[in-house]
Amino acid sequence: MKDRASASSPRGRRRPHVWWVAAGLLAALLVAGALTPARAERQYVVAFANLTEEPGVTVEGTGFTGREIRESFVLAARKYPVEMVYYDNQRDDARALQNADAAIARKVDLYIQYHQGGANVAIAEKLKAAGIPILALNYPVPGAPLYTMDNLVAGRVAGEALAQFALRAWRGQPTVAAVVGNLSAVADRVPERAQGVTEALARRLPAVRVTPVDTRGNPAQVGPLLGKFLAAHPTGKLLLAATDDTTALAVKGAVETAGRVHDAAIVSHGVDRTIHGGMNDRKEIDPNNRGSIVIGSVAFYLDRYGYDVLPLAMRVLRGESVPARVTTRHTLVTAANVFIEYPPYDMN
Amino acid sequence: MKPRAIVAVVAALMVLAFGSAAFAQTDCKTLMPASPWGPNDQTGATNRITPAVTKAAAAEIQEGKVIAMSYPLVDGVPLFGSRFTKTILTAVTLAPGAALGENNLTYMEDTWLSQSHVGTHLDGLGHIGRKDCYFNQTAMGKFINQNNMTKLGLEHLKPFATRGVVIDMVKVYQQANKLKTNPACKKPCLDKGTVISAADIQAGLKMYNVTLREGDIVAIHTGWGDLFEQYPAQNALYNSGEPGIGKEAAAWLISQKIVAVGTDTWAVEVIPGESPKEAFIVHQMLLTDNGIHIIENVRTDLIAGEAAATGRATFFFSMTVPKAVGMTGNFVGIEGIR
Repeated sequence: MKDRASASSPRGRRRPHVWWVAAGLLAALLVAGALTPARAERQYVVAFANLTEEPGVTVEGTGFTGREIRESFVLAARKYPVEMVYYDNQRDDARALQNADAAIARKVDLYIQYHQGGANVAIAEKLKAAGIPILALNYPVPGAPLYTMDNLVAGRVAGEALAQFALRAWRGQPTVAAVVGNLSAVADRVPERAQGVTEALARRLPAVRVTPVDTRGNPAQVGPLLGKFLAAHPTGKLLLAATDDTTALAVKGAVETAGRVHDAAIVSHGVDRTIHGGMNDRKEIDPNNRGSIVIGSVAFYLDRYGYDVLPLAMRVLRGESVPARVTTRHTLVTAANVFIEYPPYDMN
Repeated sequence: MKPRAIVAVVAALMVLAFGSAAFAQTDCKTLMPASPWGPNDQTGATNRITPAVTKAAAAEIQEGKVIAMSYPLVDGVPLFGSRFTKTILTAVTLAPGAALGENNLTYMEDTWLSQSHVGTHLDGLGHIGRKDCYFNQTAMGKFINQNNMTKLGLEHLKPFATRGVVIDMVKVYQQANKLKTNPACKKPCLDKGTVISAADIQAGLKMYNVTLREGDIVAIHTGWGDLFEQYPAQNALYNSGEPGIGKEAAAWLISQKIVAVGTDTWAVEVIPGESPKEAFIVHQMLLTDNGIHIIENVRTDLIAGEAAATGRATFFFSMTVPKAVGMTGNFVGIEGIR
């Protein structure tokens, strides 16, 4: 059908119509673009080679297990276009190398390596040759961005919490301090926690002497060892830093046994399930237990690793830059914020 | 003092006086939307069940077939922590010589000691809030006493007589070849932690060629209720998590102006949630912000089976909710009538 307007209009007068049509088309394209769903991002295959999945065995001098770490990846992966492939390095170099080979054969898009051992160098070379980027977890892998806990910072947070408590509640009173835990666990970097505690106390309470109490990883030793410390300091106030939550509960028991509850404040490290609980659990760090001498625990969030690491993994996969080192946000968790940091879901 | 100064002082005092009151009143207004049914609304989404909606839903009754959609409430079913439900039978007249009159009348009664959010139950508008603010910007601190709420109680809800739509999520996942069942389920089920998306719900509707209507109640069959039926053997697993709708699916259901959503799970929403630092956020989206009810532990397998057998996923949704004054929820009886 012939366009009457164009037929009757001189060429020069048609221009405004052309512009209107062009503008309309452009608007239509923009609207269509906005309404059309964005093209789905491709599905990536991401491998996570865990430190260990040995049932019940805890890692990094905390109360968390390797299984909890893997489960955090399973849950976090739900919101990303990723297919996760899981490997267990079994704390073994040979196994770690086999896992890397399997991932290369599987043609994964990214390899998240959680392994402490010399094999990390060879694994980095293998994966680099295969063109597979790596994210390292807690232990460096050459050339790979590292997501890691920071034991020194965590210790400082714990020491600062104890110091603040002492300055607020016991100002001017004779006070001693102890760091209790598996202090010889160098591989788990527990001594860094103790160092952080000591540094923070020295900065805020220079007159307070800090005594190390090494349980060598045996919570049953807390009673006898701390008993000696308490006997040596029969009066005065006690600032007690536990390097993990199990130890913190044992320290609390020892203090109660010695009848020193009113003299003691305890800060722990980890925030695992033994020390915090749900709505219906009565755990030590609980909004309904604000009077506890365990005033808090510094969070390590190993059960949230997937939520922290997968966003970094996606940035790597999308070709975006990633900092060379990202550290865990070590927050002091107390009765006041435990349900914010760890909202329970055992109610409905 | 000059008149202009007096006016200024009076104006300043008025701003201070009314300003503080306004702050107190606007607190909840900053946290949630107002009810579309007005500032005094305590009825929420059941406002959508109009006579026309009920009449239209009645057209679903074609065979007179009644399908149970509630689980038995009995000792041993999954409950959380300190929650309990317990009955005590009074049967004193059954004792020898205790019958009454020449006609030997005997009687029995029950004492039911129970929390309200047990078994197949409805979450009312007073169940979930954001801080102390509840549905329709209600500053709930002013409306509670030690026994109940004085606002947003179940007595304000309209009868739940509307169209129900069952969405068989097990079939959706089977057809999409993505069903990862839990080995403890005797029948196929979605595993805990499975996030049901809006696209999944839409696929379930498309499967039976259904379009949601304003005033509908959506029942999602996940198969997880199979563990409830195995009580008490699988109580711990049942309570440890569940498949459920995520935030995006909740937002889509809200946009469809439904009245309620129920599932064969204990919280309707996916557990563990999509973010570990959010607590029951879908509850807030549905109940607190939109007055849309949540029905938990709904028996969905029978109605899903009916839909599969007949190719029809709609039914008349009949739910009995006691006029329990000032209560946040209660156990309910639900029938799907076809």
